[in-house]
Amino acid sequence: MGDRVSTDQPVIRLDHVSKIYPLPFGDVVALDDVSLDVERGDFIAVMGPSGSGKSTLLNLIGCLDVPTEGDLYIAGRNIRELSDDELTDLRRDTLGFIFQQFNLIPLLTVRENVEYPLVLKTRRRESKGLVEKLTRRVGLEEELLSHKPSELSGGQSQRVAIARALINEPEILLCDEPTGNLDTKTGTLIMELLEEVNQQGKTIIMVTHDPRIAGYAHRTINLVDGKIA
Amino acid sequence: MIFFEFAQRSIRLHWLRSLLAVLGIVIGVVAISSMGILGNSLVLSVGEALSDVGDTVVVYPHSGGFGGGPGVQTNDVITGRQVQQIERAVGANDVIPLHVGADRIKVGGEEGVAQVYGMETTDIPLLLEISEGVYLRGASGAMVGQALAETYDLDVGSRITVGDESLRVVGILAERGVGFDINPDQAVIVSDQWYTSVYGEEDYDQVIVKVRNLEDIEEVKNAIDATLNRRETVVDVFDTRMILETILETFSTISTFTTAIGGISLVVAGVSIFNVQMMSVTERTKEVGIIRSIGTRRREVMKMFLYEAFLLGFLGSAIGGILSFGGGYVALLIMLQDTAYLFAPSSLVYIPYGMLFGIGTSLVSGLYPAWKAANLNPIDALRYE
Repeated sequence: MGDRVSTDQPVIRLDHVSKIYPLPFGDVVALDDVSLDVERGDFIAVMGPSGSGKSTLLNLIGCLDVPTEGDLYIAGRNIRELSDDELTDLRRDTLGFIFQQFNLIPLLTVRENVEYPLVLKTRRRESKGLVEKLTRRVGLEEELLSHKPSELSGGQSQRVAIARALINEPEILLCDEPTGNLDTKTGTLIMELLEEVNQQGKTIIMVTHDPRIAGYAHRTINLVDGKIA
Repeated sequence: MIFFEFAQRSIRLHWLRSLLAVLGIVIGVVAISSMGILGNSLVLSVGEALSDVGDTVVVYPHSGGFGGGPGVQTNDVITGRQVQQIERAVGANDVIPLHVGADRIKVGGEEGVAQVYGMETTDIPLLLEISEGVYLRGASGAMVGQALAETYDLDVGSRITVGDESLRVVGILAERGVGFDINPDQAVIVSDQWYTSVYGEEDYDQVIVKVRNLEDIEEVKNAIDATLNRRETVVDVFDTRMILETILETFSTISTFTTAIGGISLVVAGVSIFNVQMMSVTERTKEVGIIRSIGTRRREVMKMFLYEAFLLGFLGSAIGGILSFGGGYVALLIMLQDTAYLFAPSSLVYIPYGMLFGIGTSLVSGLYPAWKAANLNPIDALRYE
């Protein structure tokens, strides 16, 4: 297991990372020798055409996959050296996920969706008003807490997803086309919310096709054929 | 527990599918419990009918089987000297030598054939119970079995002709049922003296030893064996408890077999649970991807699906357990015409057994789907539509 990194070290470090998918008709190189340092509090937009490796990069940083070659450090820990349970715990405690399709859990209410990662971490239901505080912070009405995800609008769903991503106070937020399923006005509101979250110290990596949305980031990385252009 | 709530909600959401799976378990548990109750009741009922002879050791002349049995022609006998040897071997236990034969009987105008047992009149109360009249004392009277008395309409004081000799019925025996020693219900019991004088047989066909302390049965058996069969086998010694145990064992095997047949329906129910759980995993693949990506461990996913299987099994088993009373009652009513054995602890225990099997089957059936869900690749699961 990697040692904790000191605060002046990058919160995410890719060191000559490649990801190759072996397929029957030949290997597909999704990421090719990518090196990247992301500092604490950074807001990075990842752009590039379809098949350029954006999702692969996000999956690797999200500890949902491991590199074929090279090393990837998340909060100072080399993910190659971690077990499946340790990777899962890293996703739960250090990373927050925001998806294009919101990906709320349909069986749970809004409150339960928001508190779910915290319940996983603490093994008990949240009772100190944290959920209410967080829903206010993301601009969600408290009356919606007892509703099911199917009863929410797109904007409301994405706010719930953001609240869920923030409940365990992760260092890094990973956003995959966070406004992709929203109208322009709602998308702008969500981006303003993410900008605010970033200003409060969270590191954000955001995959997007939309240059206007990428404009909210501090810097933009363009991926072409698995390489940073 | 959030995973338990997941399981409950999933069952509620897919209530019809869950209901059918539960129904399968209900049927399986009822089948296995009812068959178990029926089998056990059969064993109990047979055991009760035969257990009154459990304290008996029966000695027959050796002929490779029950040679001297009632109505069987044989030259093998037990001599008076051998009886004395048996008496010495068994100590304080009662030894009852018997003449066993069959003869024509005539009551009024009716004729037939009956078994005739000849024994010392003092031995009769040791072996047989009376329902009417008195025990035979003198040489010229007879006692008759309950069934024979009913067939020929015999009462105390009636006359019965055995062979060519007329005898007065002094007592009617209580019904005894099928025994391993003697079957007096259809028989005439006469004195040893009368039997010897009429048939001219001094030797005996069978000796019954009533063992006072049941724990001594083996010892008594061995003592007779050691005394009489020292050089060559001249008598066969049977312990009725052993015969009883063999019969009960046979019935237990039949009972196990019928319960196993009931178990087949539980296997079918297990397949249904498996199917439901596989559908659940397929339908919730994306959900598994979501919860895995936001920090749910593999074994927690597995737990979630196993809870679901457990709940289906528990519900089915609980309902099945209650209905098993009814199922067992009906099975006993049809097969044995007697429902008393339903409440015997050894019968009732089949209900929790059935329930445990129900829950166990559900868990085993849910194991692979749960494992499959836990081992889904989170990236592929997230993309699943």
